[in-house]
Amino acid sequence: MSSVLKISNLSKIYGTEENKVKALDNVSFSIQKGEFVLIVGSSGSGKSTLLNMIGLLDRPTNGQVFIDTIDTTNLTDSKISTFRNKKLGFIFQFSNLLSDLTVLENVLLPAEISGNIEFAEKNARELLIAVGLEDQINKRTNKISGGQAQRVAVARGLINNPSIVLADEPTGNLDSITSLKIVDLLKSMAKKLNQTFIVVTHDSKIFGDVDRVITIKDGKAFEASVPSNMGLLI
Amino acid sequence: MEYRLRIAKRMLFNKKGSLIGAVLAVTIGILVIHVNFVIFQGLFDAIVRDISNYRNGDILITDEEDYIDKSDQALVKWFERIPYVKAATPRLSSTASINMTKFGTMYEKTAIPIVGVDPIQDILTSTVHETVSDGQYVYSRNSIVLGNIVAKDIGNAQVGDSLQLKIVDRYGQDQIKRFVVTGIAKAPGGQGFDYSVVIHIDTLRDLMNRPGDTGSIIVKLNDPSKATEVKNFFLASFPNDNFKAETIEESAEQQLAGFRSGIAMINLIGYFGMMSSAFAIVTIQMMLVNGKTREIGIMRSIGATRKDILIIFILQGMIIGAIGAGVGTAAGLGYTFYAKESHMSFNNSLPLEVSYNWEKIIQTAVLSFILAIIASLYPSYRATKLLPVEAMRNV
Repeated sequence: MSSVLKISNLSKIYGTEENKVKALDNVSFSIQKGEFVLIVGSSGSGKSTLLNMIGLLDRPTNGQVFIDTIDTTNLTDSKISTFRNKKLGFIFQFSNLLSDLTVLENVLLPAEISGNIEFAEKNARELLIAVGLEDQINKRTNKISGGQAQRVAVARGLINNPSIVLADEPTGNLDSITSLKIVDLLKSMAKKLNQTFIVVTHDSKIFGDVDRVITIKDGKAFEASVPSNMGLLI
Repeated sequence: MEYRLRIAKRMLFNKKGSLIGAVLAVTIGILVIHVNFVIFQGLFDAIVRDISNYRNGDILITDEEDYIDKSDQALVKWFERIPYVKAATPRLSSTASINMTKFGTMYEKTAIPIVGVDPIQDILTSTVHETVSDGQYVYSRNSIVLGNIVAKDIGNAQVGDSLQLKIVDRYGQDQIKRFVVTGIAKAPGGQGFDYSVVIHIDTLRDLMNRPGDTGSIIVKLNDPSKATEVKNFFLASFPNDNFKAETIEESAEQQLAGFRSGIAMINLIGYFGMMSSAFAIVTIQMMLVNGKTREIGIMRSIGATRKDILIIFILQGMIIGAIGAGVGTAAGLGYTFYAKESHMSFNNSLPLEVSYNWEKIIQTAVLSFILAIIASLYPSYRATKLLPVEAMRNV
């Protein structure tokens, strides 16, 4: 299997020389295409910082991030934006949709930014059907529920057929029933599309069986093989 | 571009308060320019109109050194053969002393400007006869029309009163003639004959001992834009005479110079107003950017480049500029229409010469549109500087 993500000696240090905080400390791992990976850890462990580095939303202090074998370390801001658009899909804790746009327009936006709009609307409609929102297509996103908004975010994260979908606490803001539905949705989409998912969560139990779990503790990464009771490993 | 315009529009139209505020800022900036133009340019044009109608015509012919000794009738007929010319008339000017006895008291005033007119030609050429508010204009060699200020100064002279006029002729001799007042002239704006007296030109020639002499010929055109053409044709036709021909702009230059700089100052104030509205747009757009920080972070995280963000907010500036320019121009045209139709006057006296200066109207609209875009540059630039992670933390 080809490696879609390779992290090499990644470090992130915040603060001044006298008051340094090491958020990530020499983290290295790689992820294969189609894997469903959880990044777990307690609050403040550095898991969101790691996701921001993988998502090219923040720059590391040291180390490299390879996506599809491309070293992203020295890319310009403009190229990073293009890279984020074409290679990465994002699902955030608060869904982070644009309230000025409709459900369909939100899903279409990454495709429109990339300029690949030929089949974008058809794909967007298919994705919205797949996430069960075919009847909400033309609603403004501030008129739908939190669970529905998160489903829109899933569809938006998949519209450009990215190499990796990054989800930061995708169930963190939802009730338990809705959370389970979103987890099911993520896992089914991963399986159906053979899509790589990296999910940051502090509640790994609800995800059940996944391909891999990476635990972040004090900025360092520890990896367990396929877990059955991931919660106990943290 | 399509999605950026859609986002720009939605973000703007969903913040109606900001949109209305920004559009109002542009509208007021344009309206100030239009109001200034209607009032001050209208006043300037009204003064030019009155100088042209009462005193100088569209072209003023004088002699470079002395009086015109060529036949005034010949010159008038020469002009009236030109199709652009509406009419021409001779005028002669001097100063006189007037005294009048009323109810046993003698009133005397010296150094009063006196104008001699040809009653028939003057009515065709000038509108000064329309300023006679009481009685009638000069119609015979014995008529005299007093400016209303002169009439007041000599004891409230009225139509039918008798007065004595004294002029020093070309040989230094006093020439005295008695007249009966036939009319009182009153014109708003100070360009009429309120401070002068008007008599028949032949009577003034007799009193001045200058038979056949003319002070000036005023020429009124059907199309004032042909003034330079007619003037040059006249000078070319009389190369050996000592004529001086001036268009209204040239002959009234001294009177208008002060006004011109005043209008330039007022226009400057108007443009400063427009600059203030640009600052208002900067402030409102900064508020828009601050209010949309999270959305900017989201767009950046899903791949929008800094350039995309810049374009979205510049497009907002263009939308504000376009709507503001449209509304402002419409409001300005509405005010101009009202001023024109209601015959708006300055100080309740001088009717303004209101006109639609399309070049200036378009220039003002385009300038405010460009200013709105320029004003949006800084907020747009600030929007591009937001880091996606930090921007998304903003709630």
